[in-house]
Amino acid sequence: MISHEAMHLAESLAHYALIVMALVYILRIRWFLGFVAGKERQAPTGAADTNPKRGSNYSLAIIAMPWVMESTRTKPFLYLQFVLFHLGVVAGITLSFTIPFAAEFTALPIVQIIFKSLIGAAFVVGVIRIIRRIGNIYMRAISTPDDHFALWLLTAWFGFAYFAVSMDGGMAQYIYFWMTMFFLLYVPFSKISHYLYYPFTRHYFGKSMGRRGVYPIRRGPAAS
Amino acid sequence: MSSNSNGKQRSHKAEMLLERFGKKLNRQVAGSLVACVHCGLCTDSCHYVQTNPGDVTYAPAYKADRLRKIFKRHHDWTGRVFPWWVGAKSVFTDEDLEELKDISFGKCTNCRRCTINCPMGVDFATFNRMLRGMLVSVGVMPEGVAVVSKDQWEIGNQMGVLKEDYIDTIEWMSEEMQIELDDETAVIPIDKENADVVYSINPREVKYDPRTISDAAKIFHLAGENWTMPSEGWDMTNFGLFSGDDDLGGAVSGMLYDKVVELKGKKLVISECGHGYRSTRCEGPNWAKRDVPFEMESSVITMLRFIKEGRIKVDKSRNPEPITFHDSCNNARSCGLFEEPRELLNLVCEDFREMYPNRVEGYCCTGGGGAMSMSEYSGRRLKSAKVKADQLKATGAKIVATSCHNCVDGLSDCIKHYDVGMEVTQLVNLVANALIIPEKPVIVPVEKEAEKVVAEAAKLAGKRVLIVDDEPDILTFFSTVLEDNGAEILTATDGEEAVQIAIKEHIDLVTLDINMPGKDGGWVFEKLRTTKETQTIPICIISGKPELRRLIYERSVPAPDGYLDKPVDEDMLLRNVRKIIELAERGELASISTS
Ligand code: SF4
Ligand code: SF4
Repeated sequence: MISHEAMHLAESLAHYALIVMALVYILRIRWFLGFVAGKERQAPTGAADTNPKRGSNYSLAIIAMPWVMESTRTKPFLYLQFVLFHLGVVAGITLSFTIPFAAEFTALPIVQIIFKSLIGAAFVVGVIRIIRRIGNIYMRAISTPDDHFALWLLTAWFGFAYFAVSMDGGMAQYIYFWMTMFFLLYVPFSKISHYLYYPFTRHYFGKSMGRRGVYPIRRGPAAS
Repeated sequence: MSSNSNGKQRSHKAEMLLERFGKKLNRQVAGSLVACVHCGLCTDSCHYVQTNPGDVTYAPAYKADRLRKIFKRHHDWTGRVFPWWVGAKSVFTDEDLEELKDISFGKCTNCRRCTINCPMGVDFATFNRMLRGMLVSVGVMPEGVAVVSKDQWEIGNQMGVLKEDYIDTIEWMSEEMQIELDDETAVIPIDKENADVVYSINPREVKYDPRTISDAAKIFHLAGENWTMPSEGWDMTNFGLFSGDDDLGGAVSGMLYDKVVELKGKKLVISECGHGYRSTRCEGPNWAKRDVPFEMESSVITMLRFIKEGRIKVDKSRNPEPITFHDSCNNARSCGLFEEPRELLNLVCEDFREMYPNRVEGYCCTGGGGAMSMSEYSGRRLKSAKVKADQLKATGAKIVATSCHNCVDGLSDCIKHYDVGMEVTQLVNLVANALIIPEKPVIVPVEKEAEKVVAEAAKLAGKRVLIVDDEPDILTFFSTVLEDNGAEILTATDGEEAVQIAIKEHIDLVTLDINMPGKDGGWVFEKLRTTKETQTIPICIISGKPELRRLIYERSVPAPDGYLDKPVDEDMLLRNVRKIIELAERGELASISTS
C-alpha cells in the first residue's frame, strides 16, 4: 500500500505536468504559426455546391467518416483500432482527474466497467500496434525511436491505468500517476502531439480541396 | 565544400538546398511535415508499392520522410536537440542529393493518391513537388527535366515547337477543316481580338496529334463560337508543375494570361490536358502571384455546354464501341474535374463503362509528374503500370478515353507493355466523331466542280512519291489513289530498300510507315534526314501505331512534314500529300529550311 502523501504527490505532479504540457503547446503553436500561410488565388473549380469553408469542415470531420477514404474504408480493423486507442487515451486522462476529485463517482460499478472496458481495449490495441510496428516491414521502415517509445509508453500506461481504475490505492495506481506525469511532459516533444497539428493540416487541405471541388468526395453511383 | 555545426563538411549544393528549403517553407507544407504519425495507412494507396511488394523505399511515408528528416534537423527544435530520437537527418554530400532526386523524381508521380488517403491531411505530393523544385534550383534533376525545362524557358513551350511550325500546323488544320466541311468560313482565327474564347493547347498536339486541333476547331466552328487561337503564349502546359520550379510555372502561365489580356479575350479555354489544366487554371495564379481578370475553363466543359445549349448536335451511335474513362490525377484529384467528362461521354458514346476505382480515387496512368520525360525511370514506371493495366482489362472496354495528353502517352505505353489491346483517345476526338454536320444546300455548278478537280489533280501531276510500307494492301491502296491523281509512284517494303531508292531517284515526297520488319521507320527517317542526297525530301509519317511516334520525334533531326494515323482514307491522304508538296514547292516546310 502506498502512503496517502506519496499518492497525493504523484497526483499533484501529474496535474502540474498537464500545465507544463499546455505551456509547451502554446510555444509549439506559436512556432508553427510563424510559418506564413500560402495564398490561393485561383477561382473555384469543380462542383458548384462546395466551397473552401465546406471543404474545410468536411476535411476536419473526415476522421469520423471511415467510409470516405479508401484507406479507412478497406481497413475497418485498423480504423476500429484507431477509435479504441484514442478513446482509451481520453479515458486514461479523465481517470487522472476522477480518482482524486470524484472518487465516489469513479467507484461506481458502471463507471468502473466503462473505464476498464475502454482502457483495457486500448491496451489490447496498443499490443496489436506494437506487433504491427515491429512486424510489418513498411511500418518498421518508417518508425523512429520516438514512434516506438511513444507506443510502448502509452500501452504500458493503459496497463497501469486499467488496474488503477479499481481505486485500491496500490502500486498500480501509484505508477499510473507517475507515468501520467511523465507522459504529459513527454507528449509535447513527441509524435503524440500530432493532434495539435491535425486541425491545421486538415483545415488547409480541406480549404484547398473545397475550392477545387474535390471535397466533399464524390465516388459516383456505382463505385465499388 | 563548407563545414557545418558538427564539423562535417557540406557540399555547396547541399548548403544551397538547405537555404532554399528555409525560403520555400510555408504553413501548409510545415503542417504536412510535422503531422505525420507514421500510421502507414497511406502505404498501399500508392501504385508503386502495389507493384513492388516488400520494397519499403516506395512507401509514401518513407519517401516523405526523406524531406521530413531534413525539416526536423533544421527547423524543428526536437530534431535539433535529439536528432536520432525523432529521425532527424541533414544532407551533406552531392550523393545525398542524388538519393533525394531518385526518390522524388523516380519513385513518385505526385499523383496525390496517398494524400487523399491520409487521415492526418498530410499532402506528400505537394511537398515532394517542393523538394523537386529545391533540387532543380541547385541543378540536380533528371536529364529529361533539364531539357524540357530549358525548352519551355527558351522557346516558350515544353516541346520546343517553333512559332512557324505552330502557325503552319494551325493553318493546315484550318484548310483541312474548310475542305472537310466544304465551307470557306470554316477557319481557325489566329490572334483575333475581343473573342469570346481564346483556345490554348498542348504542344504535343502540334507535334504528335494535330487531329485534336482540327477536331476542336470543327466543334468551335459548328457551335458558332467567336473564338481564336493565340500566335504566341499558346502553350497551356507547364513543366513548372513537374519540376517544382515556381518561377518557371509563373513565367509560363503569365505568358498565357498576358496574351489573353492583350487579345481582350473573355474566356481562356484549355484543351484536354490534366497538368495543363491544373497549372493554368489552378496553380498558375499562385505561381505568377497575380489575379487573373478573365474566366478559364476546360474544353471538356465547353464541349458539354455546346451540346446542352444545342449549339452542336451529336449522334452517339457513331461511337458504338465499349469505352471506359481514365481520370487524370491532376484533373480529378487536384481540380475536381470528374463529373463533366462522364456526362459528356454518356452523350457521345453508346456504351460507356466505369473503371474502378475512379474519380478522386483513380490510379495514376503512371506517366504523371513528368515521368514520361525521365527515361532513366521508364523501367520502374512500366512496372508500376501493372495496376492500371489490370484496371483497364477489368472494364472489358475496347477504348479508353482520357482528358489528358500526358495520360494518352502513359496509357499507350501501359497498354502496349501489358498487351491490353485497347485504343486510347481523347474526348475531343469522340465528340468530333459524333458530330452531326448540318447539310449545306449549296449547289456547285458542274463546270466549277470539274475545274476544282482538275486543279487539285494538277498539284500531283508528275510528282514522284515513294511509298514505304510493309503491308501490300496499303501499298496498293496508296499507289492507286495517288496514281489516279497524277503522281508517279515508287514503292519499298523495307527500310534499306527505301533509303537506296531515295538516294538514287528524284523523289518529291516519301510516305513512311514506322513499324516494319528489319530497319524500322525511325531508322529510315533519320537516314533520310541525315543523308546529303535525301535530306530535303519531304516526309509524311503514316503509322497505325501512335505509341511508336517517339521513334521518330525523339531523334535530333528536323521533325517530319506530316503525320497521319492509319487508317487513312482517300481524301485525307490526298489532302495531306498535296499540301506537303505545295508547301515544299513554296519553300515553306519548316523541316527543310532548318535541315
Ligand atoms: S502520411 Fe498520413 S497516412 Fe501516411 S503514414 Fe503519415 S499520417 Fe499515416
Ligand atoms: S503521390 Fe502518388 S506516386 Fe507519389 S507516393 Fe503518393 S500515391 Fe505514390
